Amino acid sequence: MILGGIDVALILTSNHVDVRGATAAVALVVGWGFIGAGLFAWDRRPDNSIGSLMVATGFAWLLGLISASNVPVLFTVGVLLSSVYIITAIHMLLAATRGRGLSRGDRRILTAGYLLVTVGLLPMYLFLDPAKGGCDGCPDNVILIQHNQTVVDVASAVVNLVGISLLAAVLITLVRRWRRATPPQRRLYAPVYASGVALMIAVIGQLGVQTAGSEGSAADILFIISVIPLALVPYLFLASFVRARMAQGGAVGELMSRLSAAPRGGQVRDALADALEDPSLELLFWLPEGERYVDASGQHYELPEDDPGRAVTKVDRDGECVAAIVHDARLPHMSGHVDAVGAAAALALENERLDAALRAKIGELRGSRERMLRIGLEERRRLERDLHDGAQQRLVSMALNIRLARAKLNEDPLAAEQLLASAGTELDSALEELRELARGIHPAVLTDRGLGTALETLANRAPVPVELGELPDERLPEAVELAAYFVVAEALTNVAKYSKASYATVQVERDNGRVLVEVADDGIGGADPVRGTGLRGLADRLAVLEGRLEVESEQGRGTTVRARIPCG
Amino acid sequence: MTRTVLIVDDHPSFRASARMLLEAEGFDVIGEAEDGTSALRAVEELQPDVVLLDVQLPDIDGIEVATRLSENGSGPAIVLTSSRDLADLGLVRERSPVRGFIPKAELSGAALEALL
Repeated sequence: MILGGIDVALILTSNHVDVRGATAAVALVVGWGFIGAGLFAWDRRPDNSIGSLMVATGFAWLLGLISASNVPVLFTVGVLLSSVYIITAIHMLLAATRGRGLSRGDRRILTAGYLLVTVGLLPMYLFLDPAKGGCDGCPDNVILIQHNQTVVDVASAVVNLVGISLLAAVLITLVRRWRRATPPQRRLYAPVYASGVALMIAVIGQLGVQTAGSEGSAADILFIISVIPLALVPYLFLASFVRARMAQGGAVGELMSRLSAAPRGGQVRDALADALEDPSLELLFWLPEGERYVDASGQHYELPEDDPGRAVTKVDRDGECVAAIVHDARLPHMSGHVDAVGAAAALALENERLDAALRAKIGELRGSRERMLRIGLEERRRLERDLHDGAQQRLVSMALNIRLARAKLNEDPLAAEQLLASAGTELDSALEELRELARGIHPAVLTDRGLGTALETLANRAPVPVELGELPDERLPEAVELAAYFVVAEALTNVAKYSKASYATVQVERDNGRVLVEVADDGIGGADPVRGTGLRGLADRLAVLEGRLEVESEQGRGTTVRARIPCG
Repeated sequence: MTRTVLIVDDHPSFRASARMLLEAEGFDVIGEAEDGTSALRAVEELQPDVVLLDVQLPDIDGIEVATRLSENGSGPAIVLTSSRDLADLGLVRERSPVRGFIPKAELSGAALEALL
């Protein structure tokens, strides 16, 4: 207000402004219009830069007009700052049409623009004496070195050329954005683009005033006419803003009424897609248990990270993440709209999240059941192969040796004896292999003597020293004992094969309705439970019992395999 | 005339026993091979009268080896063997270019001679 008042006073007393009344009125309409509309937008949307840029444009405009002053210093400062508002207005325009931060091209245009209207004007004004440059009533230029018309002409031509190029770049950017915009974006942003056109007309008009070199009243009138479209800019922006608010309010209201009708699977997504006018919208649900996102069918889903075309808005309920809305990054609405729509749908999303979690669980169980079946088949195939390559071959070779021995019994008793001895060795090996195979199918010691003794025999057979910690004295359910036994057996096999450990510890605790099995070693670590079929097989075996497998295996820090099995 | 034999099997213990058994009954075992590829090479080099061929080999299936050996029509006599039962192998004897099959545990010179 004060700055506006000062401007009016300066203009009305100015010796070098001829059409004082109209100029003063235009100065106030434009300056206050920008500042007022800017403050309104700033207050409503403090996170958005448009309001602050509008206010800045208003101030820059009013500051530039102190060039009307008869005081040489104020006049000079005003003249030097007289074009800054053009760039802040362009800044606002580019920010508004982009929607989410400035593009690299925008930044280049704006950097060049800000440089042009500040330091870019200096060379011209260092050599321009207003009195000799055609303005008789103007006060002195305080930064004048010496009037030099040639320098002024050249500098002015350069400034105009750069300025026109920048305007052309802005125009191209706006046209591209308009063409790329979706129909709802166009509908919403039409006033902003209209204000862009108005701004361009105003700026080109200003350039016309400067280059035409008109003097006195004619120049002032041209200035006033060219400023009229500029005066419209803040109001066009406000119109766009109000339209967006109304569209948002309407969309959220409609969404609420659609969601109140107990939506079924997939309908929440469709309702959100309609509310945000984004048919490509995807809805993901957060599973805190698995610390991952799934879609409505429970399938695992990664959030897009490097895709500039997709944006992610997370929806919280009672401080906990419920879902993520993955949407077109160029949604026509202001950024808070997706949050508002998400918040309105939070309850429905929470319900759908529970459904998705259930589907994910069913999917997991189905997967683990299929893997169990496959593991079963693979185990049987392996057993057949082991029997064929091991015990069966030994028995075949034994049968041949015995037949040969019988043939040689009379003519070469010594050879016959050797053949029988060799058959005996084969028989021992075959028996040991059969025992090993039988243990792999089901360890008899577990059934007969319980988990504690079975684990002691595993520890005794392991090639690495094994320290047994706490073991349960009482018998546990058969399935739990078997799972615990195989966890220890597999873990100790891995210790012996891969860990390069010097010792391992085994303990099994029963606590709070579950059994905790832990096998730790001091080896090289780096085991990957996803890759190893053995550990994966264990995880599946445990999943059937609702148990879980954890593997801690940092490089160089040893490996700890921990299984938790629910046990009434 | 003594018949020359090539034994093809991936189990060394069987090859050793079979060699002793066949040699004791008058066959001349002139070579052994542990897989299909080396069997094809050995047949070309040694030109045996008989190939005692295990059905399951680590690389090429025994049936495939037999087919390739009989492609030019003048190959050696091929006798298949396995520790599995003939019925488990699913062999169709009429179509396969072999003289016959002897279960491994029943191998003897007489059994082999009977098929030649």
